[in-house]
Amino acid sequence: MWSQPVAGKVPFAVPVAAARGHLRRCRSSVPSRPWRRGMLTASPSSRRLASDPAALATEHTPSRDAGGGKRHAAPSVRALLSVFAFAGALAGCRAEGPAAPGRTIPRRVVALAPNLTEIVFALGAGSMLVGVSEYSDFPEAARHIRRVGGLEVDPEKVAALRPDLVLAMAEGSARGAVRALEAAGLPVTVVPSGSLDAVLEGIRLVGERLGRREAAIRLADELARRREAVRRRMAGRRRPRALLLVWPDPPQAAGGGTFLNDVLTEAGAGNLVGDRNGWPILSAEYVATAPVELLVLPDSGQTRPAFERALSRGPLSRGPVAQAKLVRLDEASLTRPGPRVFGMLERLAEAIR
Amino acid sequence: MNDPGFLIEARGLTADYGRTPALAGLDAAISAGEVVAILGENGSGKSTFLKVLARVLAASGGTLLFDGRPLDSVPRRQTARRIAYVPQSVDLVFPIRSLDVVLQGRAPHGRGFVAETPTDRRQALDAMRACDVEGLADRDASAISGGERRRVFLARALAQEAEVWLLDEPTAGLDPRHRLEFLETLWRVHGERKTTILLVTHEIGLAADFASMVLLLKGGKTIAQGPCGQVLTAENLSRAFGTPFQARGRRFEVRSGVLPGGSLEP
Amino acid sequence: MKFPESRASRARAFAVGLLLLLAVALVAFSVGGVRLSIADLLSGRGEAGEMARMLASIRAPRILLAALVGGCLALAGAALQALLKNPLADPFLLGTSGGAAAGAACAALAGASPLVSPAAAFLGAAAASVGVASLAMRGGRLDLQRLLLAGLIANAFFSALLLAAFSIASGEAARTMLFWMMGSLADATPGKDAALAPYALVGAVILVAMAARLNLFSVGEENAAALGVDIERTKRIVFLAASLLTGAAVAFAGVIGFVGLLVPHAVRAIAGNDQRTLLPLSGLAGASLLVAADAASRAALAPVELPIGAITAALGAPLFAWLLLRTP
Repeated sequence: MWSQPVAGKVPFAVPVAAARGHLRRCRSSVPSRPWRRGMLTASPSSRRLASDPAALATEHTPSRDAGGGKRHAAPSVRALLSVFAFAGALAGCRAEGPAAPGRTIPRRVVALAPNLTEIVFALGAGSMLVGVSEYSDFPEAARHIRRVGGLEVDPEKVAALRPDLVLAMAEGSARGAVRALEAAGLPVTVVPSGSLDAVLEGIRLVGERLGRREAAIRLADELARRREAVRRRMAGRRRPRALLLVWPDPPQAAGGGTFLNDVLTEAGAGNLVGDRNGWPILSAEYVATAPVELLVLPDSGQTRPAFERALSRGPLSRGPVAQAKLVRLDEASLTRPGPRVFGMLERLAEAIR
Repeated sequence: MNDPGFLIEARGLTADYGRTPALAGLDAAISAGEVVAILGENGSGKSTFLKVLARVLAASGGTLLFDGRPLDSVPRRQTARRIAYVPQSVDLVFPIRSLDVVLQGRAPHGRGFVAETPTDRRQALDAMRACDVEGLADRDASAISGGERRRVFLARALAQEAEVWLLDEPTAGLDPRHRLEFLETLWRVHGERKTTILLVTHEIGLAADFASMVLLLKGGKTIAQGPCGQVLTAENLSRAFGTPFQARGRRFEVRSGVLPGGSLEP
Repeated sequence: MKFPESRASRARAFAVGLLLLLAVALVAFSVGGVRLSIADLLSGRGEAGEMARMLASIRAPRILLAALVGGCLALAGAALQALLKNPLADPFLLGTSGGAAAGAACAALAGASPLVSPAAAFLGAAAASVGVASLAMRGGRLDLQRLLLAGLIANAFFSALLLAAFSIASGEAARTMLFWMMGSLADATPGKDAALAPYALVGAVILVAMAARLNLFSVGEENAAALGVDIERTKRIVFLAASLLTGAAVAFAGVIGFVGLLVPHAVRAIAGNDQRTLLPLSGLAGASLLVAADAASRAALAPVELPIGAITAALGAPLFAWLLLRTP
């Protein structure tokens, strides 16, 4: 269930939010790797999925929930049912065509995560937003929109804004609020984000709901094209062994089944902990002895002191990792599964070349 | 030195458990070598008086002199060497060897409450022999019978080499044989060491047979004290226990209108 | 059941405990996500030697921290059990650890230097001890059921406090709160070891010095008083020393539960209830247990670390249940 770390408290939400789920997360997170690999290699079936948001939502969510379902059976079953219901509704409206009579273009939209805010703005629909999550700080215009809570979304604040569309992440700490909003009859759209494919799908899905289908397809196609270009450029190269840490001490890395794992591998690196799902907290010993050649760190005013300390005398100061090539990428752009992460993919690939 | 005639002297002694008063002006004057039976109804302050003497409970007012000095002006450890307390019952949670219980009696004499010199050990074993519990030395004190445990604690008092023993209902719950054995041990030790003994009891017969002096309490106050013959009268007992007593030779009985025999010897 | 008879046999028991700790530490030193070869470390040449030295520089402070923390917690637990004459006493269950964590967290939130955190943790632990003990008093004596309930209340209160602090903290501070809530030995450094050691030593010396008095508590407080022990003073000293140990352990490793419960019971079953043996031996056994648990947490899912608290709780919770069933 923790297949992406950004729950809203960005730029420094990644470690906190991810760490909060630590106990639950030890061995959970996105389990269906064959399916995911299918997505990455863009097999015919995944292309079909990619062109059909409703099909994606139905197939995507159950597989994700299977991971957390072990311990949160009841909630995930409920979440699963609600997503089915939503997918059904969507399928129904598609049957009536994209113009969707009876479903008007929303005018009051609330985005419950900063990456969703970014997507809405990227689709030119920023003026529809009447509420955003606390840390929605990009683009600049988002800073002036009413806040509806940070790490914990306040469902009452959301409801008070009388939204006709609420955008929420499939993962993260706002799930309780999302359920409350659904129960209150508010139209909630749950956006996937556990891989780069899912990010593109999310963009298409949001466009669909905002009545900006064409813009969304254009944006998603453009991002997919840039991604493909990176993939082609990096093909056949030796993959440097890499770690992408979201927090330095104790070192917490992006493992398999996360969109950051996609970023790392598609940029031409080999994720040393790609066989660990989710956001594993690594032992200092492992980090000091692992044959790291490339170290990718999210960089922001908030995280810099902690990473600097780790690099100068903490877990990143010893062994191969201390000699590894260091790439710092803007934290907000890197750790939010939105359009900007594709820019980070290009930057990382450039750095590796 | 106030009144060297008495070893223990209490005047207007008061004590309480939180807000519940337990002693309300108790007077007592006890000479060395006496065997004092403390009698009174439940809640009359008998056990409380022992606890104040044992320094388990602090008095809230009045005077309590031990050997002519206020008891609370003497360091605790010093009085613990002279006054031994045998509680009515003990609740043992963790296993403890009987010998170690008896060795505790040596603790006030040792440095830092440590008792492990060969002398301590010998004295503890001697005390156990005297109380006929030598064979239990290695047994867990929480796993022996009540009567045996009572004697183990008596042996502890003996090992403590105290000149005053405070015994809280020492015979309660003992079967006739164990009761007799216990009293015989007590009597023998008293004879050998001239120990001053204060014992709380509900057995008026025991007081009459065993004690040299009786302290009769009611409502935390002394209503009579002195030699058994003087204090143990039907009138005093009736007043102390709030139920009519009648004398029958040296014995006393409680009259009952319900029971078939019509009277009971307490 | 064996009862150590004399100073000599106590010294023997202590030596056995020390050897156990050394053996466990030696094993813990070589296991983990990465195997550390002692031969490489000693030869110290080439890449292998360098790697071994680096691993040693990570592992050694961590093992020392585990030993110090485990010793502190077990010793505090053993002393509390003796003082309260209660087999269920444990700094974690009685809320002392929670109080320490809350104290340390509050200090961190107020922006105090990390050097003050043991003192703040100690104050929190002491406040928790006093609060729990006074809640549990009934008619002038500690009531077993009330004590456990009071510990429950204290734990609920302090974890609420920590959660509140967690939600208003940001970035690094929030990380720190999480560290105190979950307990971790992961960021051990020689500096931390050196800072914790004096607290551990002072607390241990005080408690071991009180051992003979605590022995007299085994038959009850009144018993100890009648034998000349100033029980109020003893209780204060033991509570404060136990709080000092707990506070120091929590300040450097967060809340790690059940060590203080688990260890004294195991030691008592083997070596008897003489506090002069039980206390120092509990300290050594607690150190051994936590060093072993930490090695397990490093090795079990390597390179991912298992939270150490999960391991101690997995061992301690069943024991607690068993003790609860046995307690009348």
